[in-house]
Amino acid sequence: MAKAGTPVAIMTEILKIENLTKYFGGLCAVDSVSFSLDEKVIMGLIGPNGAGKTTLVNMISGAIPPNHGRILFNGTDIAGHKAHAINNRGIARTFQVVRIFSKLTALENVMAGLVDRRQKGPWRLAFASLVGGFGKQSQNPENRAAAEGLLELVGIGGYRDELAENLPYALTKRLEIARALATRPKLLLLDEPSSGLNPAELVDQIALIREINKQGITILIIEHVMKVIMDISDRLVVIHYGKKIADGKPEAVYTDPNVVEAYLGGESHAAR
Amino acid sequence: MSKRLKHRLRSVAVVAALLILPQVVQERYFLHIVVMAGIYTIMTMSWNLLAGYSGQLNLGHAAFFGIGAYSSALLAMKLGVSPWFGLLGGGVIAGFFGFLLGFPALRLSGPYLAITTIGFAEILRLVAVNWVDLTRGSLGLSGIPLLTPIRLGSWGMEFYFERDYYYVVLAAVVFTYFCMLRFTHSEFGVSLQALRDDEQGAQSIGIHTSQYKLAVFTISAFFAGMAGGLFAHFTRLVSPDTMSLHVTFDTLTMTMIGGLGTTAGPILGAVLLSLLSEWLRTLEDFFRMDIRLVLYGFLLILTIRFMREGLVGVVRALKEGFSSYGKGRNAGGDHD
Repeated sequence: MAKAGTPVAIMTEILKIENLTKYFGGLCAVDSVSFSLDEKVIMGLIGPNGAGKTTLVNMISGAIPPNHGRILFNGTDIAGHKAHAINNRGIARTFQVVRIFSKLTALENVMAGLVDRRQKGPWRLAFASLVGGFGKQSQNPENRAAAEGLLELVGIGGYRDELAENLPYALTKRLEIARALATRPKLLLLDEPSSGLNPAELVDQIALIREINKQGITILIIEHVMKVIMDISDRLVVIHYGKKIADGKPEAVYTDPNVVEAYLGGESHAAR
Repeated sequence: MSKRLKHRLRSVAVVAALLILPQVVQERYFLHIVVMAGIYTIMTMSWNLLAGYSGQLNLGHAAFFGIGAYSSALLAMKLGVSPWFGLLGGGVIAGFFGFLLGFPALRLSGPYLAITTIGFAEILRLVAVNWVDLTRGSLGLSGIPLLTPIRLGSWGMEFYFERDYYYVVLAAVVFTYFCMLRFTHSEFGVSLQALRDDEQGAQSIGIHTSQYKLAVFTISAFFAGMAGGLFAHFTRLVSPDTMSLHVTFDTLTMTMIGGLGTTAGPILGAVLLSLLSEWLRTLEDFFRMDIRLVLYGFLLILTIRFMREGLVGVVRALKEGFSSYGKGRNAGGDHD
């Protein structure tokens, strides 16, 4: 499904979700949702509060296992895999409420993400730390440079030695993105990257997401702020009460009567 | 570079001072206290790796100490293993038990983990009390052999006096310190701290948190077991008391007051409180109670309330100047 206006001719499917379902007790939070995502695209996932967006992202990232359905990432079913294993395969995420390492510096947060965990488990790292070159206890300089580069990319290079807990909220959101990028993902899941940001910060955030996408990373973004989502998405999926109700280009979705009724009508978030 | 050189020089000076200490102060009682402080330093450093850096609140640390002590004593007494290998063996066996205790930690955290680990230590203590054939029950093992003499050509060293053990324990402390420094200031240490600060966040960047927990429990228990082995061959008496809760809480108190999650904190806490508690012992007749515990509790509360980073935090604050750190100054004033 090649889209007009996209310069790349051949699209490959990076993520395909089939009938994904999650129950919490008797409540069906995500009800048989299917969609697929092409490489290097920015896809928006929207829906009213409690629609099941975060649950969907939690299942894709392995934070919780689905009850039914498949999640094909580059053709492999990763449904039910553990979060760390899914990250090792190339999916990184951020959280709605940031989950940074508060007692580590900004630089260390990113460096934690840079460790090649496909190759190195705890025992190997522990052993390596003991036999490493004398007087050089800190991490290898290559990683350090890469971490500094990522902090620069998200625009917080000046805070590299600041403890994460001392950063203002808007910057912790950026730090979390840098940390996720440090794991060299092919697919990045952003769970409300703009929540709690003021209009000026919002503009920066949009530019940053575009920049990340330009580097060839596919992005799935949950967002409440309509300005952001309409602006940057190549495609939108709308879910409501756990069901997918629309899927397509932003302009088309925006005028879809189902969406208008479920999401944009009534007390909508579109007013923001 | 010059800063690093200065740092190096200071380290050399500290080590030199520690090396000549037993030549300057020859009082055996004092050296006994210092050796015990060294053994406790290994305990606090190992507990700090687990609790301070990895956020695993293990309140059964005394079990590892006791396992190390019993193992290395029994290896020497029943199997005739050289005490030097026994020290290592005690560490390895304790490490194995640490690995086992790591499993409940995969699912439990916070108070639940704390209670489980207390239970673990209590069960092992009761095993030591009741398995009379092996451990002689509450009587404990006595007559544990001394460390065997070392001979290297014409130079030789025998281990009779506190002074001799002082050097062994000093070497063990330096070794442990070196290992901890490396563990914590590396990719391994950053991963542990990530796990401590946010487990789900850590998993989201690919950290296999279960494996890290097992690894850090094992490593921490190994060092605690080694401390236990040193204790066994130094005091030559091991009883089930080595596994009792107060050993864990002494370790905890020392680490917290020194500075949890810092490199120097555990050492500072263990040495200062060991010396302090000996001094307080002389006041026991005057107060007609164990004033030591009262003071420990008081210090612990002060630490938690006013100086989360313990004495290390206070020293750091004093260095940075009084103005920027009000809380630290108050807490520091209380202790100076």
